[in-house]
Amino acid sequence: MEQLAYVAYGFYLVLILAGGWAAVRSRNLVRALLGLIMTLFGVAGMYFLMAAPFMALMQILIYVGAVSVLIFFAIMLTRAPGGEAGEEDDGPRPARRTVLALLSGLLPAVILAAAIVAKTPQAVPLKPEAPLSRLGQFLTGPYVLAFELISVVLLAAMAGAVVLGFERRKGA
Amino acid sequence: MNPLVLFHLAALLLLALGLYGLTSRRTLVGMLISVELMLNGAGLALVASARLTPASDELGQLGTLLVMGLAAAEATLVLAMVLVAVKRSGTSDSDRLSALRG
Repeated sequence: MEQLAYVAYGFYLVLILAGGWAAVRSRNLVRALLGLIMTLFGVAGMYFLMAAPFMALMQILIYVGAVSVLIFFAIMLTRAPGGEAGEEDDGPRPARRTVLALLSGLLPAVILAAAIVAKTPQAVPLKPEAPLSRLGQFLTGPYVLAFELISVVLLAAMAGAVVLGFERRKGA
Repeated sequence: MNPLVLFHLAALLLLALGLYGLTSRRTLVGMLISVELMLNGAGLALVASARLTPASDELGQLGTLLVMGLAAAEATLVLAMVLVAVKRSGTSDSDRLSALRG
């Protein structure tokens, strides 16, 4: 059974790697978004593997359902005049930029990976799945301030988006 | 191998990919996609730490839920800001968006 868990982990890791690579490298932004969605599904699979099905379903509902649709709108609404929607410039990628970007990604990764391998404590056996009712009680008990604040943040973000949109139309 | 290390390395992979994308992408929407990758890595690390250590389970899972809510709010706001930037300058290329005026 434990081998099976490692196989599932490997499968989700491949999903994350392939999707993430497409998300950061693809010239076509729609393909990059599809890569992002693939990565999100891989992460959701990892949540399932950790016996946190609520988080996995929320991941699919919020990220795949809402955030990626928003990004898709952003791609469609920002097309260059006369150009195809979602294409980045066709010019050659400067090698210097790629090398610097690789460095900025790899350097923190190597340092943190060394820290993770050296310092991570032994994992405890998987705890029984937290029931949804307890999560809800926690959210309305000790976490109630964060819960209310995030609704305010969401409201402010929506109102801000609407205000920005109105200003855009008035200027036209 | 220690499963906690494995999950944290997967989260680190997401962080590295996101950083790489954030610095190499030229369009604002591409950068937004990279930021979402990094936020996902943060969520994965939080849930892994909550599930596989003696720490409180609810704390980690609900913390990740709040991260997801913040990501949704951030995506909404960034969408509106990118639209304004494109409307004013005609491009979402971060290299050409260099003018700053009131």
